[in-house]
Amino acid sequence: MLLQQLLNGLVIGCVYALTAMGATLIYGILRILDIANAAAYVIGAYIGWYIFDLTHNIVLAFVVSMLLTGLLGVVIHRTIYAPILSKPRLMPIIPLVAAVGLFTLTSDIVRLIAGGGTKAYNLKFDTDVYHLGGLTITPQWILILVLTCMLFLVLWFILNKTKMGLAWRATAEDAEIAQAMGINTKSAMALSYIIGYGFAAAAGIMVGVLYNSITPALGDVPSYKMLAVIVLGGLGNPVGTVLAGILVGLAETLISVYLPIGLPKDSIAFIALIIILLVKPDGLITRKNKA
Amino acid sequence: MMLQIKDLKVSFGQMDVLHGISLDVNEGELISVIGPNGAGKTTLIRSIMGLKEANGGSIVYNGTDITHLPAWHRAQLGIGYVPEGRRVFGNLSVEENLRLGGYQLKDEAQKQKNISQVYEMFPRLKERSGQLARTMSGGEQQMLAIGRALVLTPKLLLIDEVSMGLMPLMVTTCFKIIKDLNKQGITVLVVEQNANKALKIAHRGYVLETGNIVLSDTAENLRTNDVVQKAYLGS
Repeated sequence: MLLQQLLNGLVIGCVYALTAMGATLIYGILRILDIANAAAYVIGAYIGWYIFDLTHNIVLAFVVSMLLTGLLGVVIHRTIYAPILSKPRLMPIIPLVAAVGLFTLTSDIVRLIAGGGTKAYNLKFDTDVYHLGGLTITPQWILILVLTCMLFLVLWFILNKTKMGLAWRATAEDAEIAQAMGINTKSAMALSYIIGYGFAAAAGIMVGVLYNSITPALGDVPSYKMLAVIVLGGLGNPVGTVLAGILVGLAETLISVYLPIGLPKDSIAFIALIIILLVKPDGLITRKNKA
Repeated sequence: MMLQIKDLKVSFGQMDVLHGISLDVNEGELISVIGPNGAGKTTLIRSIMGLKEANGGSIVYNGTDITHLPAWHRAQLGIGYVPEGRRVFGNLSVEENLRLGGYQLKDEAQKQKNISQVYEMFPRLKERSGQLARTMSGGEQQMLAIGRALVLTPKLLLIDEVSMGLMPLMVTTCFKIIKDLNKQGITVLVVEQNANKALKIAHRGYVLETGNIVLSDTAENLRTNDVVQKAYLGS
């Protein structure tokens, strides 16, 4: 029973981590909280739905949706955030307000185009559930776990084993010096947006497949829960974000099952956030040295 | 002429920091800019690197007007930079820091060769190549900051306050290294509070005070100049 709940929590946690990764990568480079990452989650889920509806190919749905949403991220950065951030002595609140506005706007555009109702993915698998010992596992879970692992492995590889990833890490640590070393920091930003928005799109499709329904309001709760995850993960730290996402997923699931405190499930992430920040104000995972 | 700065004006908001200064660096020279804290030395070097926007005047490097080029483009043209306070990438390894220094080199073999040359020059860095940069001492980090700039094999090397926060013995070592680099053919522009050491190794020098060049001469003449002696050499 406990193992079953742990697995439930892990699956949800993977989706959280994937959703929040974009915000983390973007914060790492630009030092802004891009709430509009939750819009990528909604848009990704819808693009994926349309592709799947047309082709009945879920792999194609993931690939096309991640690519298109990733590119949209780059366009949003170039047309909205880059001009705002180029203003000297900018108040940090301004990009945040822009992000909130952008999120609201895109959610409503999705509503206008796709309609306000629910859409179902109706992704069919050969079996409904697998039984493994006492555990019940659905094919949807396997899809989510395997895909999340793959995406994080790819991200790890890019960040740690490629020239582009090294440039990303340098820019995240000291953008100015990175520039002076010859790094065009704009490409590090573009990388953050492509991967970040692409991952959020994948998370959106996963949730669509998991609950077999998407609505234009899909991103509302993730938009703020994502904040809890990235702060817990130590703001701008990719590894911390994965751990924090899984932790929040587990905490939500376990607490709502074993500790019926009568609070809505979505509030648990924030209770955990408050407690952890009281004890460890830098978040769970912190990088030393910020001199 | 390698670097020609004409009437450079730089301001922070309403406050002017450099009031139109002119300065030349010839190929092969080692030039020191000395002056008190707050004179605008760091601002000068940052605007040459492209990290601070110029509000007027021009910076010409090897015949190219670079006044409005982004910093990464200037690095591509062969300008190396050793920043004030070292600013190595603390969460990255020594080796990664060096690789970043050669980021603009397209030829991987060339980059590896340059990195091994830096290791030959600073064996200490080789010993610690896998270590995170922040775990090293201040002196070692300064070596890394210099080494990082050298991987690019720069034509012009900009060095900002190399002596800051280092032990006296280490300061001497650093200035010796700078002189050697210059002898090997790298043109160097140093800005430095330690006027004595900076003028000893330089061919020519400039004195920068509150955003203006107040004196410029050969390093030898500056060292014997009464004003410089009283104000900067403490004799």
